[in-house]
Amino acid sequence: MPSHMKYMIGVDVGGTFTDFTLANAATGEVFNYKERSTPSDPSRAILTGIVEMLSLKQIDYKDIGYLVHGTTVATNTLIERKGASTALLITEGFKDIVEIGNQTRPSLYNLHQEKPLPLVPSHLRVEVPERIYQDGSVRQSIDLEILRERLHALPIKDVESIAICFLFSFVNPAHEKAASDLVRDIFPQAYISISHEVVAEFREYPRLSTTILNAYLGPVMRSYLENFQTAVKNIGIIVDPYITQSNGGTLSIQETVKSPVRTAVSGPSAGVIAAARFGELTGYNNLITFDMGGTSADISLVENGSPLVSVERKIVGWPARLPMLDIITIGAGGGSIARIDMGGALKVGPESAGAIPGPACYQSGGTKPTVTDANVLLQRINPQKILGGKMHINQAVAQDSIRKHISELSGLSILDAANGIIDVVNANMVRAIRVVSVERGYDPKDFTLMAFGGAGPLHAVALAKEIGIPRVLVPPSAGTLCSLGLLLTDIRSDHVYSRVISPSPAIVPDVKGIFEELEKEGTTILDKEQVGLGDRSFLRWIDARYKLQNYELMIPVQTDEFTEDGLTKIEKRFHSAHELTYGYARPNAEIEFVNFRLTAIGTLPKARIAQRPTRREAEISEPLRPVDNRKVYFKEIQGFVDCNIYQRSDIYSLDAILGPAIIEQMDATTVIPPGVACRADLYGNLIIEL
Amino acid sequence: MSKDTKSLTEEVNAITLEILGNRLLSVAEEMGATLIKTAYSTNIKERRDCSTAVFDRLGQMIAQAEHIPMHLGSLLGAVESLLRKYPAVTIQSGDIFMTNDPYSGGGTHLPDITLVSPVFKNQTLVGFVASLAHHADVGGKVPGSTSGDNTSIFQEGIRIPMVKIANRGNVIQDAIDFIMLNSRTPKEREGDLAAQIAANRVGVKRLLEVVSKYGIEKYFLATDALLGYAERLMRAGILKLPDGVYTFEDFMDDDGINIGIPIPIRVSITIREDTALVDFTGSNPQVAGPINIPLNGTLATVFYCFKVLVGPEIPSNQGIYNVLCVFAPEECILNCKSPAAVGERIDTCQRVADVIFGAMAEAAPERVIAASNSSVTTATFSGLKPASGDFYVYLETIAGGQGAHSSGDGLSGVQVHMTNTSNLPIEALELEYPLLVRQYKLRQDSGGAGKYRGGLGIQREIEALVSGTTFSSLADRQKIAPWGLKGGGEGMPGQYILVRKNGQTCRLGSKESGVLLDVGDMVSIQTPGAGGYGDPLEREPERVLTDIVEGKVSSQMARVRYGVVINNVNEIDPQATINLRDELSKESAAKYNNK
Repeated sequence: MPSHMKYMIGVDVGGTFTDFTLANAATGEVFNYKERSTPSDPSRAILTGIVEMLSLKQIDYKDIGYLVHGTTVATNTLIERKGASTALLITEGFKDIVEIGNQTRPSLYNLHQEKPLPLVPSHLRVEVPERIYQDGSVRQSIDLEILRERLHALPIKDVESIAICFLFSFVNPAHEKAASDLVRDIFPQAYISISHEVVAEFREYPRLSTTILNAYLGPVMRSYLENFQTAVKNIGIIVDPYITQSNGGTLSIQETVKSPVRTAVSGPSAGVIAAARFGELTGYNNLITFDMGGTSADISLVENGSPLVSVERKIVGWPARLPMLDIITIGAGGGSIARIDMGGALKVGPESAGAIPGPACYQSGGTKPTVTDANVLLQRINPQKILGGKMHINQAVAQDSIRKHISELSGLSILDAANGIIDVVNANMVRAIRVVSVERGYDPKDFTLMAFGGAGPLHAVALAKEIGIPRVLVPPSAGTLCSLGLLLTDIRSDHVYSRVISPSPAIVPDVKGIFEELEKEGTTILDKEQVGLGDRSFLRWIDARYKLQNYELMIPVQTDEFTEDGLTKIEKRFHSAHELTYGYARPNAEIEFVNFRLTAIGTLPKARIAQRPTRREAEISEPLRPVDNRKVYFKEIQGFVDCNIYQRSDIYSLDAILGPAIIEQMDATTVIPPGVACRADLYGNLIIEL
Repeated sequence: MSKDTKSLTEEVNAITLEILGNRLLSVAEEMGATLIKTAYSTNIKERRDCSTAVFDRLGQMIAQAEHIPMHLGSLLGAVESLLRKYPAVTIQSGDIFMTNDPYSGGGTHLPDITLVSPVFKNQTLVGFVASLAHHADVGGKVPGSTSGDNTSIFQEGIRIPMVKIANRGNVIQDAIDFIMLNSRTPKEREGDLAAQIAANRVGVKRLLEVVSKYGIEKYFLATDALLGYAERLMRAGILKLPDGVYTFEDFMDDDGINIGIPIPIRVSITIREDTALVDFTGSNPQVAGPINIPLNGTLATVFYCFKVLVGPEIPSNQGIYNVLCVFAPEECILNCKSPAAVGERIDTCQRVADVIFGAMAEAAPERVIAASNSSVTTATFSGLKPASGDFYVYLETIAGGQGAHSSGDGLSGVQVHMTNTSNLPIEALELEYPLLVRQYKLRQDSGGAGKYRGGLGIQREIEALVSGTTFSSLADRQKIAPWGLKGGGEGMPGQYILVRKNGQTCRLGSKESGVLLDVGDMVSIQTPGAGGYGDPLEREPERVLTDIVEGKVSSQMARVRYGVVINNVNEIDPQATINLRDELSKESAAKYNNK
């Protein structure tokens, strides 16, 4: 990290647009830029955007001290199934686990629903004679001669990547190591993904699935990221770029390429990191984040400044066992399509008109009514133009579409239909918010709803009211929070070791040893990332459970607790965590430690979030004035009312607005109902108290 | 959209329907989340063997969280029998009622305990919420309460009639003590019941919030409309089916007591305009073994099947029942009377699902699936753990094939119809018990041949690592194969094979208890495949080749059943295939003419 850093760039690639945030490291000044995405090679839009943005701002490439890239290449590769042709080496007798999974069917009532086709076709699955017992001892030594024969029988040109996963390799990796040595000999070009390296945790299916995902993504990500790195160098940027991970941290390209599966749900994570950071600045540390875009809404919970983390989730249908920010995604966005079903109920989503063909009112091919059309009809969204005038809106078309597809089939007036569309989509989102909060034991009353994404601030106040959240916060760059979030992260590398042991004085040296080993692994990464000694820190957890349980709780631990007394403290902490999470504890029951986790953190410089001046500071004597006035429908008064329209960029710190009001900005619209007050804090966040 | 939707009023419109449905489902789901979160036992916490639902003031179900289809029976039965025993005027706010009894409490087998709470808004009864959990042990002859050789419900555990477990908010500890004393794992029962009480209390609170949003009168109108909504969707779906009478029969292998005597399950379904009559007359009388179904279990199965047939998206509420008329004669295996044993009723429910799809194959060929593995193939190992000397019981249900359908192959190695529980990971199993899994794979050739192939069964082989290990089997479809449709072939039946260390093998019974295993002995559990759909000679040869490459079909089977000839470099021999298919189709035409 150069110490003379002047500028930082965050690049977030979305389906429609690639968003850039340029931050001046010294002043905290932030500049946002957008470029149309280039899905066939996302790096094209990135490079064009950087070049245009830097020339616009007359900034020298050499002054870019930090570049971080949030990528959806991994996710898209999976959705489009364009990953590498992947072979699998697995313990003899178990090649069908790839297909059997956990034995459940994908849909309870739709018996025609297929399971996703395995990423490794059957003819590329190689069974390996070998077997290790649960304690790590060898039942059957690996037969390398037979393995060699079977490898030679593979169609060599079809093997770009190889996953290796043997039973109990997390206890004894010798067989996986021996197999990978042989594989390297025979397939020197292939990408290799080994289960005990990718995720050294017990439970074979999630480990296998994660290892296969990693192998499948490896070659694609390697070539994409290496090209990107070269291209960045070629335009004259000196620093090596960083890549965002699903855990909310970043890693260098070299490390990312080793474990690309870790980027698979990185898309929405930067937004959550930014939300947490804004919350911290503003003093609201308990947040429910609500990011609503064109096709979906991402919802997560931040407790005391830390986003909740989950260690297993499905990625495009496949289980992945890795620490990831716990984000719920539902099919509710501005483009969600409304319809009346066979039984006469109004349904909204999950089908979406997306950006193409888009809502009816965009007149770009879409004819079905969407959430955006309803918002346009009610004049909550500007009925003439959005995106700072770049996109024209046809309100009459929105009205026709709602009349034809909703009113004529339900007897609802057009206004009721439009309101209904919004109420229904809100009800879907309320359900998701309840899942991340109430169902996990949190009371929404203790939280602030942080609304962002193009459509988030349109719906936020209604959601907060419905669910009893007392406050809504809309950050300044509501539409580009993700790319800003990229400039607020740290290097984070997760390491895990799996071993089932019961805590007792005898295991103290084991626990110590395990964490020392993990710390060595983490240190190696931090060394490679050239993190200064003063910028290093480590977090440690033990996944623990009551004996005979099959689910664990992550218990934070400290190095000074690896003593007899310390273990007792950890056990006590587990009992309380169990009480908190599950409503009871069993103080006399035996506990088992299952996984040992360490996160190595390398603190990175962050974009300073600059304060927004007050009017007095900016020496503006004029009070805040609306830029426009139009009639907007509010449910609260069941009708249209004259409503002031403000421009977000006109709002200075400590300005106050009393609803009814609409605040428009380039990429988002905030709705403030009658009687509700809104003020801007010192960072330019809109704070709406309910 | 049907014209009936005009019945929606200004008060209750298309928007109310959707939002209220969503809110009620959210109440049921939050109850479910609370139950799973606070439960004590593995079976509820991890296998999620539990369900929750919301009812209207008359006891009609208006929302159910999606968990296990089988549970619907007990949920429907419980509120109905509550109101029969305790008329609404005698119920008070804060009361909670409990039952598990199939013969007096509306349940389907004793481990499923249901708790019902009335919900009052200012002294007006506005509805009920209920939670059901499968309790791992409710007493009876064997640990786990369900045994293949039980012949009376009195051997299956404690019977709980509809009783009060809380009075105006105060839990009646006496009632809980009663249950605890009758279980081998009392602490677990206490914890799980506490979780159910917690779930019901969350449900009461949340339902009141929903009622308050609408006001009592509008809420009542709206819930009635919700029942009408599901009814309309169901009627609209049935209306699309051609009128007629559709019949089918299939057989259970035996009841485990009278070995080798098949048990017929027969159905006659009459579709007339927008209603369906499902009549099980002609099915076997109730049997000695524990595979009898109380009527509520049969109802739940019919409900499941019609949801599959007509619209998986139809909300699970009682409105659907107004469209479906179900009849099973008294003391029939599908409407058994006390004291018939019912512990393993789910095997029979799976068969009921098969016969309903079999009957409807003519009316809705593109909706049904061929017969599935339709057995809950169970393996129970028990013994002592070598390190601690503790007694253990490891019970697992192993999945199988799902029937093929008109647009695709059946799924392989999945739980079908009335259940959908997960497996125990091999590494978790071996860390916990002195057992070793030798193989876990799909069974070659077990899927019925067809234009669309039936799903494959599973072969799971488990070796005893210590002597004194005991094994018990419990399954069906080990003699009578799952049938195919429209010319599709049969799936392979299941079997349990005992392989002694010295290589000797023998087949075990499908409902056999207490087989003693020595070190190195192994049981190979092989679950049934499923039936195929359509003429196998119409399957594209490339797909047959893929099945061969994937090991799902042998080249022998490819030749004999699919008429596909593979040469020695694993390629299709096109000419030989055309010739063979010609020959095979003539043969089958000749067979057909001779009939």
